[in-house]
Amino acid sequence: MLTLEDLFVVVLVWGIVIICAWFLSKYLFFVFMGARNRLDRLFLPIENLIYWLGGVDSSRKMGWKEYFKALFYLNAAQAIIAFFILMFQQSLPLNPMHYPGMSWSLALNTVLSFSSNTNLQHYNGETTLSYLSQMSAIQFLQFTSAATGLAAGVAVIRGFAGKAKTIGNFYYDYVRSLTRVLLPLAFIAAIVLIALGVPQSIGGYSSVPTLQRGAYEILYNGPIASLVSIMQLGTNGGGYFGANSAYPLQNPTQLSNLFEIGLMMFIPTAILFLFGRTVGDNREGRTLFLSAYAIYGIDLVIAFLSTTNIAQGIEVRFGGVTSAFWTVTTTAFTTGSLNASLGAFNPIVILTAFFGMLIQGAPGGIGIGAMYLIMYVIVTIFLVGLMAGRTPEYLGIKIEGRDVKLAIAAFLTHPIIILIPTVLAFAIGAEKAVGVTSNSTGFTTIFYEFTSAAANNGSDFLGAAGNTVFFNVATGIVMWLGRYLPILFLLAIADSVAVRKRSPSQGLKTGNISFVVILVVSIFILTVLTFFPFLVLGPVLQFLQGFNTSVGGVIFGF
Amino acid sequence: MTRLKSVSGAVRMTVISLIICGMIFPLVMTGIGQVAMPWQSNGSQVYFDGKSIGSELISQNFSEPVFFHPRNDSASGVDPDITMADAMSQVPRIHNATGIPEAFLNATLIKYTQRTLFFFGTPYINVLDVNLYLVEEFPAVYSQYIQ
Repeated sequence: MLTLEDLFVVVLVWGIVIICAWFLSKYLFFVFMGARNRLDRLFLPIENLIYWLGGVDSSRKMGWKEYFKALFYLNAAQAIIAFFILMFQQSLPLNPMHYPGMSWSLALNTVLSFSSNTNLQHYNGETTLSYLSQMSAIQFLQFTSAATGLAAGVAVIRGFAGKAKTIGNFYYDYVRSLTRVLLPLAFIAAIVLIALGVPQSIGGYSSVPTLQRGAYEILYNGPIASLVSIMQLGTNGGGYFGANSAYPLQNPTQLSNLFEIGLMMFIPTAILFLFGRTVGDNREGRTLFLSAYAIYGIDLVIAFLSTTNIAQGIEVRFGGVTSAFWTVTTTAFTTGSLNASLGAFNPIVILTAFFGMLIQGAPGGIGIGAMYLIMYVIVTIFLVGLMAGRTPEYLGIKIEGRDVKLAIAAFLTHPIIILIPTVLAFAIGAEKAVGVTSNSTGFTTIFYEFTSAAANNGSDFLGAAGNTVFFNVATGIVMWLGRYLPILFLLAIADSVAVRKRSPSQGLKTGNISFVVILVVSIFILTVLTFFPFLVLGPVLQFLQGFNTSVGGVIFGF
Repeated sequence: MTRLKSVSGAVRMTVISLIICGMIFPLVMTGIGQVAMPWQSNGSQVYFDGKSIGSELISQNFSEPVFFHPRNDSASGVDPDITMADAMSQVPRIHNATGIPEAFLNATLIKYTQRTLFFFGTPYINVLDVNLYLVEEFPAVYSQYIQ
């Protein structure tokens, strides 16, 4: 049932985040859309030094192939260097705990996961990773994958706005994402987190005697606040600890809990407003914002309806309300951090988590969420155009056959890379090796694993239990396909519409509320229809079975 | 040639990003944390008799009947808090083991009550805080149970 607490939490967090995101979108416009700014005096010399040291040209306009190639090569190089850090951490500095290197398949999974902004973790950080690995493999990739996502989102927006007649230059977008957006915001966020009780040290772990005679505890300590700041801001989600944000040192109080929820919502929300600013019509940004938040809001209401009590798997200091709020938000924004155990939730909450990950644009991850929303807009306009017998148009641009094909290709990437490996896992019996049985609960677990991987979310049921060669390699491949194929397709669309002729719109108006309704319905129909059989076999069946034994049992004597 | 150039650009940009984001940033934050907020930065440790007895944020192993006990099942496994209802249910056991009046124990719980949503939500208490208070109030009772 909806309670006053639910309402209080949502109004408080949404209100603050949306207002801050509106101002951030103004700032992002200055950062990425070429306007001069007072901050140039501070940032330009640093950025020019980075371009010079990197030997890259930040001023040349790039076509979609060149933009994608620069993005992909950079991400690949980053994954490779992180792979070696993880495999050979025992021979590298800052390892006072003397942890051995990761196995090849676990290291591979980890770098594919973090470079693709997924942050699926088949390990427990506090007992596996050295300080250097946490900093120079994990935090490093959390920054760069967020900057990559932001760059790709900005490029697609720039292309659709068409003012610059180009999608831009990757290095320009990437470097500015880091210097002007992610590093300054993470700096502020890390200081707030330390003040709220998140540790920041490299002093090593110690065992201390606790109050009761004979009892000890390991005092974990590390560069935790700096990691958590970028993990939430960059919609990464991979925690310092295996228990992620349920672990008190990563999320000490309700205040830090709500602050971290706000952090993950902040930039993706601002990008929706940035879209409106860039195309020169705030109503277009409002359409994306309202559609994304409508779906997110519906998910929240459904999750709140099934009351979550402080029971096994829920931390007392957060309570049921903000645990459900976090779980819906972390999947809606494809962050993937968790402040409770997924097993603690009613299957209905898990179902809403699935919706967030299957849609990916409600509002989705940093940069990428806006990109997916634009994909849904294209598909929707095409469908409505078919029904009304009109040429599909968006922002005065004629949508051509190639655009629709590419948008559909991006949309279909997702079901293909989720459904095939899920079926494959059961076909070869890989689920048994990770202790999962072949019933509806087990099906949900494996389906969730690949959905989370494909959506670059990273929350999961398996955790360190997923550390088998099959799941490491399979989810690794899924994470990269789910990341780079849609980016490639959307960049291709954006590049071709960037130079296309624009005429005053004759077609469907997209800046009004009725289009918001059409878009929301269309997104639900497209995703639910695609995944319906899988959802039925997993969380829906689980819910009905639970219903059968609880309510049904009492009333009908089943 | 262009491929070689884009690969070299990728490698060099990778090294620069690694140094800035993966080394300078966390180390600068560590410096700031250690200087400006050393207590939080080092894990919010609680001191008793001048010695650290662990983090206020991490649940401790309390198994003797004279203490309030934490819960063992939660998402993190080290949940430092228990609900008020859970704490209340432990009052008779502690009273029987220590002789401390139930009224005093209940008053202590009320004194240490926090709520999940600041001023409303589920009431709960931090187990270590309450146990530490009892140890300080009744040193004679507790001396044989502590380090």
